[in-house]
Amino acid sequence: MKKYVFLFCLMVLAAELSAQTVPVELTDTTQLTDATQMVQPTQTVRVGYYRGNQNTVAGAVDKVTEERMNKGLITSSLDALSGQAAGVQVTTGGNQEAMVSAVRVRGTTSLTGANDPLVIIDGVAADLATLSTIYPADIESFTILKDPSQTAQYGSRGAAGVIEVATKKGKQSKFHISYDGAIGFERVYKRVGMLNASQFRQAATALGLDYMDRGQDTDFGKSIERTGFVQNHHIAFGGGSETANYRASVGIMEHKTVMQTNNYRNYIAKLDVSQLAFDNRLKVDLGLLGAFQRNNYLPDQQKLLYSAQTFNPTFPAEPKADGSYEQVTEALWINNPLSLLKMKDDEDNGHFNVHLSARATLLEGLVLRAFGSYSFNMVNNAHYYPTAVWSHGEAYRSDNRSEEWFGNISLDYTLNMKSSILNVMFLTEVQSDTDKGFNATTTNFSTDAFGYDKMSAGAARPWDGTDSYYKKSNMESLLLHAQYSLLNKYTLTANARMDASSKVGRNHKWGFFPSVSAAWIISKEAWMQDLQFVNNAKLRIGYGRSGNLGGIDPYNSMLLIQPNGLVPMNGSPVTTLGIIRNANPDLKWETKRAFNLGLDLLLWDRRIALTLDYYQSKTTDMLYVYDVPVPPFTYNKLLANMGSMQNSGLELGFGITPLREKDMELTINMNWSLERNKLLSLDGNYNGQQLTAPTMKGISSLWGAGFHGNSDVVMQVVGQPIGVFYLPHCNGLKTLDDGSKYYDISDEKQICGQAVPKFMMGSNIAFRYRQWDVTMQINGAFGHKIYNGTKLTYMNMLSMPNYNVMPGAPEQNIQDQSISDYYLENGNYVNIDYLTVGWNVPLRSKYVSGLRMSVSVNNLATITAYSGLTPMINSSVVNGTLGIDDKNVRPVYRSYTFGLSVVF
Amino acid sequence: MRKYVVFLLVGLVVMQACSLQEDPRDQIPVEEAYTSATSLFQNTVATLYAYIGGSEEGEGLQGTCRGVYDLQTFGSDEAILPTRGGDWYDGGLWEQMYCHSWKAGHSLAGNAWLYLYKVITLCNRSLEQLAEHRYLLTDEDFWSYCAEVRALRAIYYWYLIDLFGNVPIVTSTRVSMQEVKQSSREEVFRFAVNELEGVMDYLPYEYSQKQNRYYGRVTAPVATFALAKLMLNAEVYSGQPQWERTIYYCNILEGMGYKLEPYYTSNFVIRNENSCENIWTIPMDRDLYTTLQQNMHRSYHYRHASAYGFTGENGSCATRRVLEIFGYGTEDEDPRFFFNYWADEVFDYNGDYILDRKGNPLVYHPWEVKLDLSGSPYVETAGARMKKYEIDRNAMKDGTLMDNDIVLFRFADVLLMRAEAKFRLGGASYADEFGITAQQDFNAVRDRVGMPHRIITLQNLLDERLMELCWEGWRRQDLIRFEQYESLFEGDEFSDKVDESDGHTRLFPIPGDAMAMNHNLVQNPGY
Repeated sequence: MKKYVFLFCLMVLAAELSAQTVPVELTDTTQLTDATQMVQPTQTVRVGYYRGNQNTVAGAVDKVTEERMNKGLITSSLDALSGQAAGVQVTTGGNQEAMVSAVRVRGTTSLTGANDPLVIIDGVAADLATLSTIYPADIESFTILKDPSQTAQYGSRGAAGVIEVATKKGKQSKFHISYDGAIGFERVYKRVGMLNASQFRQAATALGLDYMDRGQDTDFGKSIERTGFVQNHHIAFGGGSETANYRASVGIMEHKTVMQTNNYRNYIAKLDVSQLAFDNRLKVDLGLLGAFQRNNYLPDQQKLLYSAQTFNPTFPAEPKADGSYEQVTEALWINNPLSLLKMKDDEDNGHFNVHLSARATLLEGLVLRAFGSYSFNMVNNAHYYPTAVWSHGEAYRSDNRSEEWFGNISLDYTLNMKSSILNVMFLTEVQSDTDKGFNATTTNFSTDAFGYDKMSAGAARPWDGTDSYYKKSNMESLLLHAQYSLLNKYTLTANARMDASSKVGRNHKWGFFPSVSAAWIISKEAWMQDLQFVNNAKLRIGYGRSGNLGGIDPYNSMLLIQPNGLVPMNGSPVTTLGIIRNANPDLKWETKRAFNLGLDLLLWDRRIALTLDYYQSKTTDMLYVYDVPVPPFTYNKLLANMGSMQNSGLELGFGITPLREKDMELTINMNWSLERNKLLSLDGNYNGQQLTAPTMKGISSLWGAGFHGNSDVVMQVVGQPIGVFYLPHCNGLKTLDDGSKYYDISDEKQICGQAVPKFMMGSNIAFRYRQWDVTMQINGAFGHKIYNGTKLTYMNMLSMPNYNVMPGAPEQNIQDQSISDYYLENGNYVNIDYLTVGWNVPLRSKYVSGLRMSVSVNNLATITAYSGLTPMINSSVVNGTLGIDDKNVRPVYRSYTFGLSVVF
Repeated sequence: MRKYVVFLLVGLVVMQACSLQEDPRDQIPVEEAYTSATSLFQNTVATLYAYIGGSEEGEGLQGTCRGVYDLQTFGSDEAILPTRGGDWYDGGLWEQMYCHSWKAGHSLAGNAWLYLYKVITLCNRSLEQLAEHRYLLTDEDFWSYCAEVRALRAIYYWYLIDLFGNVPIVTSTRVSMQEVKQSSREEVFRFAVNELEGVMDYLPYEYSQKQNRYYGRVTAPVATFALAKLMLNAEVYSGQPQWERTIYYCNILEGMGYKLEPYYTSNFVIRNENSCENIWTIPMDRDLYTTLQQNMHRSYHYRHASAYGFTGENGSCATRRVLEIFGYGTEDEDPRFFFNYWADEVFDYNGDYILDRKGNPLVYHPWEVKLDLSGSPYVETAGARMKKYEIDRNAMKDGTLMDNDIVLFRFADVLLMRAEAKFRLGGASYADEFGITAQQDFNAVRDRVGMPHRIITLQNLLDERLMELCWEGWRRQDLIRFEQYESLFEGDEFSDKVDESDGHTRLFPIPGDAMAMNHNLVQNPGY
């Protein structure tokens, strides 16, 4: 049934929703614009489901066009956005450890993990993983919707912010073709230093320890590294007439990271076709996107780094005669790092999307639009753990598929009156997601030769190693949007959206998410006309409610059973069924209410642009896996809506063009954001009973030898920001009779800082002299702390001789690894993300219309007082690594790239 | 035109409205699990046996780490997890276990509480489902299934009062949070006893340790054994000793045909399903089941385990007290020491020495064990290690997925319980109705391993219980019953010795999280 609806959507006449067809030159980077690129009042902006110009947008909306995207080495489209918008934090997972970065818009507002913003690519709901497959040169702009007066139109999906991505489309011009590419290499410039072989021998001897000496001197930290290599190539061509146009592109991105065996490849093809018909009353758009990624991951990065750093340096880097590597059997937590590199963890990731949209002008001012989309995702994972590192070896394969149908129809009516404009839109939308897949595991291999390619080489198939799953959820929505604009000076916008999802409980299916916002162009008031230096001034105010459901699986509201184990029955095994979690039939929407006040200013001949936003939001009915008392509950976790959280912040965008001459131009763009977060409560009412969750709970803890248990560092504490350090105070070191030292730690623990920065900065400096330009991006974060667990571990002489230690450790002779605030450090940093020098080659060719060459250095320098490897660890995503540097930080590297763009 | 559009939109909305019901496929509604007599049995009764053992930390009565078994074992003087340099400090977790300095937030107690109550509430759910679908069963089956579930639940309540004292009795899934209040230890004791006695007539009089229809299940002998244990410790649980009833239940078990195996080790071999001494076991099979036995894995030296193709965590070992009791290294060393512990040199499958990192034979030094071995030359090798179960060469998952069934209850314990009860009633010569004296029961256990008879005394009984039942999770209970629980520090040196003169450590604290979430709960005294 559902599918017919979608087909219907696809077929019904009408409009395009996605298209923002502002013609922009393909490689428009040649043109350095002034500060006003931050705020262009006349620029058309599509914000969610409706369009207007900057005058009518009343919310905190930040549009990052191609000019503002990052210029250095871009290995993922999200890199292009990093540091460019206030309140938007792109975490590339500590040195780009994965293609998929984590993004936070205005911080963490929920505990379920649904803090990833909604990504809309050309009107199609997608996710960060899909966005990362898009080739950056195909992206025309990012539009970031930050406050609920804008995100409410996405209803239940928009609470964590929305990133709308517009890709480039064809245009009404003659045929053109362009090439865009980059090639470069990456070099490690800093790694965790450990004792070398002779220092190691000396230290072990000094302590009188029996140690293994294989007579070599190997830097195992270095042995797992290599010179990284990056290449990106992209060809796009397109053309069109007055009524039809198309654009096609293919791209390849390859990234061999500085860690051996860790590679990412991405192949992408894209096609967009547009046609006008019936006297331009009908416009039809078709978009096709196919992307394929092949990733070789590091199966367990923390174990690999821990092993490489602490493995006995007297061991050889060469394998034994049989090809295997000798292990230190006594060092249970680590393996020979070179044997760990033999582990394989590969992923094939395919993505396909087709979307069709139509726009029909039925009557003057009345427009009908229909939009339909189908996405297919395939993720195949495979791993093989050889017998040397995994007793008896293990092979694993999985095949996961997800499908999404999505469609909407809207009716848009615009009434142009004498001095005002009224716009009303009604929209109905459906979405259906299906996930299914299976996996299989075999173990007990007698040879590693087959890897995961011949699973029958494994002799045993554990019962819990084979499984399959199926999940489906549906959502439907209604949206009513109205905007009234008076004298092009005052604008009032209201949205009312209703969402219904199959995931929530029977009695809470529909959620209501209204919003209202207003904008006032002060500069158009008569009394402002005297102030000549004010080119534009706009005051914005908005309030809205949005929902959040993204973090939860379907079926949580139902009491369901699954196979729970094998038991003998009449002497043979039988699979029995049992409940595997507490069900919550009252599951409902998490809602976020937010208020936003903003001011946009454009001053002095548009040389200074200023955007100021203050926001405050409160998340209630917070979805979270609460601790519940056992008994009466069977399991101690329950997904429910109880607690609340508060966020507030101040964002400042600032652009200045101090120099604007014919030959020379200097532009500085900066954004600052101040974020405050507080977990208000985790208590609430469930089923008529007052539930009180424990006020304190661990978020991240240390890992490794001697850290199994009682090693929480970052906690979630009610009444505090999410992620605070809760540690006992260390009064210093004390010396024992034998000369060894230990930490003198007080009994009581206390809150001593937060893991998430209070203050973030991004700034971009661009300078042009004739055809030459220089761009530099500087990002910074302040007001947070980092726990240096790496140092705590590597300063502990008790780990000798099975685990290597840091230089300085033998002299200090600390024989203790108790956790205290001794290794809690300030996390403040300023990082020069990249420096790019570009040259737009002046050409007078008939065929070549543009040629640009550039050289970039990424990750140029970090200014920090933090003593660990790098302060750029996970300081934003609430998970098991938040705020701690614990033997899992990759060596720090720089990228050097050469880029070339040609437009014919 | 507009009319059509409006019609179309309204139509679409109506169509959408049908799709909001969920239709799960990889999970099924509870009702679909109870459609026949067989499926009802499988998914109400048999399903509970998936939880006796475990594969996750803190789950299971025995075999996994950091749960019920660890509280019973490492909270006693039987075993210790010493800090070995950089290994096993674990934030002071094990030190607290040995020094009895645990507090309400101790994770092991938290794990045990959650696990025991999880199984209890699952039992309640099963009983409700059985009642609801009674029409599928014959009366006889219905009563016997209910009896089995109730007996299992009673056994779990017994573990709860043994560890935590005053605990809430919950017998229905429809209990609200406000209704969850503690009963006194004595009340819960009586509840467990009444439940077990009440269902006894409906339980099958069948062996549970054999690979028959009742393999691994709670049959009449299993329930009887639990009753014998409850009676044995009745004075601790309720203030009233019940020695006669202890003897009564022990006699019933003997009457059911259980006897000592000729060889002590037969109970722990790979195919120990054939033992006529074991009473309740956790069925283990590397191909069929997922339950693990992690205790040897945790104890073996790295190279020792590695020589057998497994991995060892080089952790737990025997305390010096154990060595003294066994007479380790003396002429009178009890043979059970050799059956239960690895000490001195160890050998691989070929009988060759297992070597240490220097190429010398790996030698365990049992006497060198202490709480913190850091800096000691025996940091890795101090302490006698757990042997107990025959090595299963085909074991998987680091040697933890093995075929030897984990022994929970066995008959040698019954003889010692009976000897103790008789002795406490009337001394060594006290005989029951069959004319067997305390001394005779006591001798039977020693005879089996060829040890000379000893005069039965309380101290000898306690020592014998350790030698016979070490690594089986009874030592803490025994020490408490013999009033020696607090004395285990004597002769040992500790930096932060806990004052337990008030006896508060005989109970673990009610877990802090449970207290925080249920304000009805009252903490045990002393915490």
